[in-house]
Amino acid sequence: MFINRKLIFVSGIILFCLFILIIFFKQTNLSYEEVKNIKNRSSNADISEPKFSINNNSNQIFITAAEGNFLNKNEILLKDNVRFKSNDFSIETDKVIFNRDKQTAQSSSRSLFKSKNTSITSDGFDIYDKGDKIIFYGNSYIILK
Amino acid sequence: MKLILGVIFIIFFSLNLTARENGETEITTEDGIEVFQNEKFYLLKKNVKIESDEFTLNADDVKINFDKNLYDITKLNAKGNVDFYSEQYEIQGDGEFLEFEFKIEKIKVKGLGSKLITKDLKMFSDGFIEVNNQTGKFSLKGLNSKLINEGIIIEARSIDGVFSDTGEKKNITLLNIFDEKISYIKNDGTDMYAKTINYNNENSIIELIDNVTIIRNEEKITGDYGTLDTTNNSYKIKSNNKSKVKVIIQNNE
Repeated sequence: MFINRKLIFVSGIILFCLFILIIFFKQTNLSYEEVKNIKNRSSNADISEPKFSINNNSNQIFITAAEGNFLNKNEILLKDNVRFKSNDFSIETDKVIFNRDKQTAQSSSRSLFKSKNTSITSDGFDIYDKGDKIIFYGNSYIILK
Repeated sequence: MKLILGVIFIIFFSLNLTARENGETEITTEDGIEVFQNEKFYLLKKNVKIESDEFTLNADDVKINFDKNLYDITKLNAKGNVDFYSEQYEIQGDGEFLEFEFKIEKIKVKGLGSKLITKDLKMFSDGFIEVNNQTGKFSLKGLNSKLINEGIIIEARSIDGVFSDTGEKKNITLLNIFDEKISYIKNDGTDMYAKTINYNNENSIIELIDNVTIIRNEEKITGDYGTLDTTNNSYKIKSNNKSKVKVIIQNNE
């Protein structure tokens, strides 16, 4: 009876160690894949450090990013360190699809909006009507000071 | 034990990272926000929670109008399962809809089971309850409208009035009550019924018009017009039928 308990305990420890090892190797592989992807992405960029603007009657919104890829004639996928900046607000996120023709922008990645005494974090956003209307998607969190 | 303490510390620390600081207002939504910059309003969608030092509100959806910036709130409209509490105005309530105009301090709760409770006043209605904190005017309209203030109970389809704020408490100074069926007011052990009931704090008279009934102890007097002096609790009742005897009953006190 005592031997069996000891055996079960040792087997449990071995299984746990194996589980940890598998997780470790998986994680290492994922990190390697990410680095590889980033390298590939940067090499595949159509535009490096692109700059655009959305022209509003009363305001202008400047858009910058680390890189961009043309999806079609009008749509550009902006990636890494994407920033929207106007006199009234700024938005930071990782990925945005910008439409040059319609002057719209859509993102489904975590975003941070900042304006005077206000910050909004959301699961993405949609800018349309030349920047007059902004929709923040998903679970959103606002702080008003 | 160390592991448990560590986990508790991590949870506490991560909660603190998202917690609001003093003087800030925190808003959370489950289905995002729509900001209309030119029209100067934003919509908060699904399971909205607003929390500040002096104000909390929960509702399904909220529309906020602002003046110059998003934080500069002028008006708030909430709908669906609304409940709120304002420490500043010592007011709490719930209902299906809420309108709150910040600058003029006007609050309106609408829908079935509307409720507005202050330190001295309790108001209920299935229509709407509106209170202007600056002017002191209040209005309750709709079925099951009811107002309770320091032992006074009022029930009618339409209750309009004014309260004065003495600083310590709110007193009713003017009342206009109407119900096509019958209005009801209970004051100091006296039950009064009439279609129209008016009260003015200046002369301390409760005026009862149409289908008047006054019940006190075992007495029940009916007529077409009546008055009750709240200073000495005496009342008079008249009838439109001149052949009937006018009744005047003085309080034993």
